[in-house]
This record gives sequence, C-alpha cells and structure tokens, in this order.
Amino acid sequence: MRVPEVATDLAQYVTALVGDAAGEWDRRGRLPLELLRELGASGVLCAEVAPEHGGAGLDGAAGGELTAHVGSHCSSLRSVMTSQGMAAWTIQRYGSTRQQCEYLPRLTGGELAGVAFTEAGAGSDLAAMSTRIEPDGDHVIVTGHKRWVTVGAYADLLVVVGRHGAGAAAVLVPTTAEGVRVEPIADPIGCRAAGHADVRLDAVRLPAEHVLRGAGQPLGWLVTTALTYGRLSVAWGCVGILRACLAAAAQHARTRRQFGSPLGDHQLVARHVAELHVSEQAATRVCEHASRRWDERSPDMVIAAVLAKHFSAVQAAAGAGAAMQVLASAGARDGHVVARAYRDAKPMEIIEGSSEICQLLLAEHAIAMAA
Amino acid sequence: MSTSIEHPAQRAAPESPVQAALLSFLQSRTSTAWDVDVDLFADGGVSSLFAMELVVFVEQEFDVEVGGEDLVLDNFRTVRAMAALVERLREHARA
Repeated sequence: MRVPEVATDLAQYVTALVGDAAGEWDRRGRLPLELLRELGASGVLCAEVAPEHGGAGLDGAAGGELTAHVGSHCSSLRSVMTSQGMAAWTIQRYGSTRQQCEYLPRLTGGELAGVAFTEAGAGSDLAAMSTRIEPDGDHVIVTGHKRWVTVGAYADLLVVVGRHGAGAAAVLVPTTAEGVRVEPIADPIGCRAAGHADVRLDAVRLPAEHVLRGAGQPLGWLVTTALTYGRLSVAWGCVGILRACLAAAAQHARTRRQFGSPLGDHQLVARHVAELHVSEQAATRVCEHASRRWDERSPDMVIAAVLAKHFSAVQAAAGAGAAMQVLASAGARDGHVVARAYRDAKPMEIIEGSSEICQLLLAEHAIAMAA
Repeated sequence: MSTSIEHPAQRAAPESPVQAALLSFLQSRTSTAWDVDVDLFADGGVSSLFAMELVVFVEQEFDVEVGGEDLVLDNFRTVRAMAALVERLREHARA
C-alpha cells in the first residue's frame, strides 16, 4: 500500500481502507488489528507528528479536518486517532529529545498507544489520582489501576499519568511489561470498537528512562497539556458525527415519502435537517478557530479547545438524536451510521472533561478576564 | 493573588522588557496587577488551564522552545523565574 503524503491523500486512503466495514466493526466491538497497524505505519493515527519522526507533519487545521473525516466514517477509529495523537503530543511536549527520537517513530511505525488518566476515584477530579511512579535505583516502580483506557485492548504502549515525588509525571509503559494486566471492557455504549480497557499496574518495574523528562510538575499541567490535544481531536470527531448525521438525514428527507410527499416537505422534519445543517457548520467554524489558535501557538488555544469540545459534543449529541428521529426505523439497528452516531455522540459529552467541567472552565476564564 | 492587590505600593517595577511583557500578559488575563516575585501558583493563584496558556505565551512571545526538562513549576512560579528561563533559553539558542 502506497504511503500517502498529504492530507487529502490521507483522507482518501482512510476512506478506501474503511469501506463500508464500520457497521460490522461496531457490532463486533473490534477493529481489525492489521488495519490499525497499517494506518499507524502510514502516519494517519497521529498525523501531526513531524516527518523527521515518520509523521505526515500536518498542521492543526489539516489534522482536524482529517480527524473529522475519519469521525464521519467511524467514531471508534477516530477515537484511536485521538488516543494515539494525544500520546504522541505528550511525548513531544514532555519528552527529552532522546525520548522523542525513540518513541515518536514507533507511534508512526505501526505501534499503538493509549493514554491512561482515569481511575475509579479520579474521573473529573483527577487530583484524586492514586497511581504512583516511585524511584527504585535506576528504575521506577509503577503501581495503580487505570479505568476506561481507550485503545487499551490494542495498545503496545501506554502513557500512564501518576504521582511522582511532590508532583506528577507521565511514564511510558509497554503492555508486555511484567505486572501489566489489560482487561477489555465489554459492550461500551459508544465507540464500541475503540478497545476500551481497564489496566492494572501491579508494581511494574521499568528503567527510569521510561519517565518522560518533564517530571515533577503539578498534575494539572500534565493533564491540561494532554487534554488540550484530546479536546481538539474529540471536537473535530464530533464535527464528523454531525456530517454523517446531516448526510443521512438529508438523503432520507429527500427520498423517503410519507403522506404523498418527500419527508423534507413536512416542515417539522425539515426543521431537524435545518438544525443539523446549522450545527455542522457552527461546530466546524468553532473547531477551525481553535485549530488556528493552535497553529499560531496562541495562549488562547487552551480555552478555545475547551470551548470547541464542549460546543461540538453538545451539538453532536443533539444532532444525532435529531437524525435518529428523521431516519426512524431506517436507522434503528446497531451498525447503521445514525444508530452508531446516536450512541457514539453521548460519551463525547463525558470524556476529555465533561460538559459540566468544561462549563466551569469557561466560566472561570470569562470571569478572570472581566475588567 | 491578594498580596499584589493589597500592597500596590510595594510592587517592584519590572527590571527587563521580558518581565514587563510577562506582567502585561498576566494583567490582561487576570485583570489583576502582579509583582515580579509573587508566587503565581500559591493558593488563590492562577489555574492549571492558565499555567498552560503561560507556557504557550512564553514560547510564542519570546520565540523560545520550552522543552520537557524546563517544564517544571519552579521555572514558572514567578515572573522573575520565567524571565530568567527566557534569558537562559535565548542564551542557549545563541550558543
């Protein structure tokens, strides 16, 4: 398979590889591992990584459009992209030059990675995290129990965030290391094939070089850095969900006839289509703005990512509900693009900072800025 | 945060253009005046979200790259510390 070089090529490449299989992957709750490795080796899964590390070197805007494109086909696969991209970004941001040179080419070479934040007692309240990364001579010992790690079931490598000294650190944990136990989560409500798993880390002993160089900073810094990428990626994924829903609803409104005319001639149905169109356009603009801020390296990128994620997730959940209403029985079976969107959109209001947490951050920002 | 509000008379003037730019950014983002030696992350100080904005601002405004080993709290705790980091990174870039 030809390795594509630019964003549009990458998008076509993904379209060809996915074909019409997304419904079947959803029903089986599993993506083909070979496909993931091939996409990984082509650089699609973390397309912003620089060419010197084997990546496609896309900027934030092009990376976002690619993410939306994948999300319009398959949210499980988009979810894998979000995880791989977040892992790569964290390594790029916090890793030493040597760590970047060692690990980034692996993430663009077919290895799969997830990021482990969440714990049983630490969801929105990540400060309650109890995973420990403790020194042991020239090694570290990692102990903890992570929940809902996306890609966990497929991952070769996990970026595990935990307590380190007085602060926090991220440590790169190979899933083959002794003491790592990955327990796939059966039947999640959405992104069913994204490989969600609980991960037990039972005194996992690793060379100290596995700890990313920027260690000891406050937990909130590390989490905000990783999540800013994750939020932008999820936001673009929601744009993809909206595009898929709009396409399905508009097509159905045009072709399906009831009471002697196309559904689109019935005003209450037409309103659903109009609102979906507005949501898709508005979410796209909000995401484009956040990605521009990212590409400009503007400090505004942090809050713009929160806003984009919050807005797009709420629109996607509402839009998928509207599309389901328009499609009705035609979209009411698992595997159908709208049925998937309906289930995949809801968790977007929960992950990478719930809607409520995003609202708190947005309010805090607005109030701090007030004169 | 309250220190600088309650004792404006004690506020030290910035000693360099870098410190001045940092103070100006902080003021624009928090609607609060800051002193070069105030601990920004002490209780009631700036949020985690703002910490990352600060890192991005330092990189973009002063055209430096803050690598993993420099992304530590002590380098960002005060305006004086951030300005010293910028000088050090610029020094390093010239070397």
